[in-house]
Amino acid sequence: MDPFVSGQRLADRMADALAELGGERSERFDQTYVTLAGERIQEAVRRCRDAGFEQLSDVMAIDWLEYPGHQGPRFTVVYNLYSLSDASRLMLRVNVDLDESVPSITPQWPAAGFFEREVYDLFGIEFRGHPDLRKLVTPDDLEGHPLRKDFPLGETPTLFGDGRFLDPATFRAGLMGRDPGRTGWTGGARKGVRSEQGRVDDDGSEA
Amino acid sequence: MSPQRKNGRGAQHDAGPRAAVLHEERHGAFETKLMRINVGPVHPATHGVLRLVIDLDGEQIVNLSPRIGYLHTGFEKTMENRTWQQVVTYTNRMDYAHSLGHDLAYVLAAEKLVDARVPERAQRIRVLLTELNRIASHLIGLGTGLLDMGALTPFFYTMRERERVLDILELVTGVRMNYGYFRVGGLYQDLPEGFEELVKSFIDDFPAALDQYMKLFLKNDIWVNRTKGVGVISRQTALDVGLTGPSARASGVNLDFRKAAPYSGYEDYDFDVPVSEEGDAYQRFVVRATEMEQSLRIVQQALYKLEPGPIKDPDRRISLPPREELETSMEAVIFHFKLVTEGFHPPKGEVYVPTESARGELGYYLVSDGGSMPYRVKVRTPSLANVQAIAPASIGGPFADMIVNIATMDPVMGDVDK
Amino acid sequence: MALNDLFEKDFQELEREGILFGTLGKLVAWGRSHSLYPVTFGLACCALEMMQSTNARNDMARFGSEVFRASPRQADVMIVAGRLSKKMAPVMRRVYDQMPEPKWVISMGACASSGGMFNNYAIVQNVDSVVPVDIFVPGCPPRPESLVYAVMQLQKKVRGETFDQHGVELPMVEGWTRS
Repeated sequence: MDPFVSGQRLADRMADALAELGGERSERFDQTYVTLAGERIQEAVRRCRDAGFEQLSDVMAIDWLEYPGHQGPRFTVVYNLYSLSDASRLMLRVNVDLDESVPSITPQWPAAGFFEREVYDLFGIEFRGHPDLRKLVTPDDLEGHPLRKDFPLGETPTLFGDGRFLDPATFRAGLMGRDPGRTGWTGGARKGVRSEQGRVDDDGSEA
Repeated sequence: MSPQRKNGRGAQHDAGPRAAVLHEERHGAFETKLMRINVGPVHPATHGVLRLVIDLDGEQIVNLSPRIGYLHTGFEKTMENRTWQQVVTYTNRMDYAHSLGHDLAYVLAAEKLVDARVPERAQRIRVLLTELNRIASHLIGLGTGLLDMGALTPFFYTMRERERVLDILELVTGVRMNYGYFRVGGLYQDLPEGFEELVKSFIDDFPAALDQYMKLFLKNDIWVNRTKGVGVISRQTALDVGLTGPSARASGVNLDFRKAAPYSGYEDYDFDVPVSEEGDAYQRFVVRATEMEQSLRIVQQALYKLEPGPIKDPDRRISLPPREELETSMEAVIFHFKLVTEGFHPPKGEVYVPTESARGELGYYLVSDGGSMPYRVKVRTPSLANVQAIAPASIGGPFADMIVNIATMDPVMGDVDK
Repeated sequence: MALNDLFEKDFQELEREGILFGTLGKLVAWGRSHSLYPVTFGLACCALEMMQSTNARNDMARFGSEVFRASPRQADVMIVAGRLSKKMAPVMRRVYDQMPEPKWVISMGACASSGGMFNNYAIVQNVDSVVPVDIFVPGCPPRPESLVYAVMQLQKKVRGETFDQHGVELPMVEGWTRS
């Protein structure tokens, strides 16, 4: 097969094939996703690898705590798989709640070793069966998981030579739409601009 | 030769070369233990703050475990607290050797999210500068790699060429490193005068310089003996371990996102991607050197194809309006105010755009909640996976070969630890 | 020249004949300042600019920093080049402690001097809180010429020719009196 012909054929086929494992297919910005239960992820990855997805690009997590209008489990772990022969990409999603764990794919795919350790270190999601699950990038005495939304950024106020203190948070106030700051913007778009932040549909689902 | 003791003193054996063997016969074999040593994080040859814990059996490595995190900067968390346009200042600092690669990857992902239309001139300039930066990055990789092996001279030669590339980039962007030149929607400002002549003189001089380095090491017996057959990574191991980039292409993984998923106009350029089957350190070096030649071809073609035109997406909701308009148009003033204080708002969604950095697959996974700051930025950096490849390449070989393997994987610790 | 000329002639006359006068302290300081060997402590992007300052265009070796010593036991100055993360801080303190007296520290770049653009949980906001810094170099990253200028300023400090912000002359650094 010509490796340079780009197409979504393999990803489409795989996404449909994973339906028998309970996978729900979705598309975002031309990218095919399959959402699975955590217990099925090892089998799904094994099938994808056998079908031709030779490269595991990434394992990452998203914390939905402050996402406007989000309901459901707090985290999503995304597995990014790529097929060299077909030049197509498939992403598997596993929704994980706080204090839940996900089976690890490291025993079958060593590339996930550092990726899963990083997710564990920064988010606190445990991967069962990982041969060496411990902190990767943060110092040993740092308690907590930095990339969670309830972990503070840890900014220290800047002290100037003449004694003034500058608080970085007030500098950025208003930009996230949480406090009005200097522009008075508190979320939502100005007229004529596409933005759906803060807008939740009547049935409570995401916009 | 030690003298034979006479029988009067009791029969003692001749303490000569057979002594060790006889000792073993009498007392049993020497008991050996594995020695666990720590390499780094402050080490002249680990390419930054990489720490390795190695179990050695004499000179042979039995086990290797990289410990990273000594440069963890919290980029992803910081980016969640900056506007979409301000994030560009942070993306360079991750892979500081190929900083424009990161800029380009982020800007492409954000533009996909916002659905921006980047004008062609901006795309060509982006490709030109990114390829120049790739040349500079490979020059560092080659120079420091040879420095780690004890060759001091090539380092000075590669740094000399790198200074010329940095001169060009400084002319355009104003800084030698960590450029903040790309913006979501285009570029910061147009090219200055004198750019074409400077790039042309570099294009004319670089092939001769590259030839000089290639002769310095390809024909050097010491270098060839130190790298041929060393640290062999098979294609299957490379895929198992997540290796990408020139190191993977040297092992037979034919993957280059500039060809597989072209972005920013790469499909218009004519260049080759060097791939080798052998997977040893020698090929990893040669692949990088050949890539520099091909990057020069792209630079030449991009320079030739440059046409005058706009350099920013004219959509006022993303790009700042030009200064002249602010004098006459009230709307321009309002757009300017809102963009500078608040930034633009992409629609909700998630996007991932893979690009090819000098180290491998680089992609930014952006999650937007419709606000003026990213909700989640995940950077798929190539060096994090490449560091995992040091272990299978080095285990079973001597310690000195491990140094060569790290040098040829060319990890940049800012990329690894983020 | 007879030996008793040394005691009888005026020192200005002797200087014209090629005999220099000074204190032992000044002589030692002159020697020290012109042979500052840095220890390899490149952390991040500033390390690349530090490497560039040793290349053929900006040659720091002509100022005395001939080689970057890999072992801290053989080094005089530690150029902290790059952002210092909190995980790396104890390592840096240990390397600093291993350097023999007299020793100096140049904090290169914005990240080492003040945390730079990273004001978060992971970066030490001022390297001065871990090791005593002599020279701060601004820039992100500082040009190689800036680093060379910083080394020259450090040389002045070592010889005792520097002034603080109020114009008071700073004493010459003697190794055994610093903590």
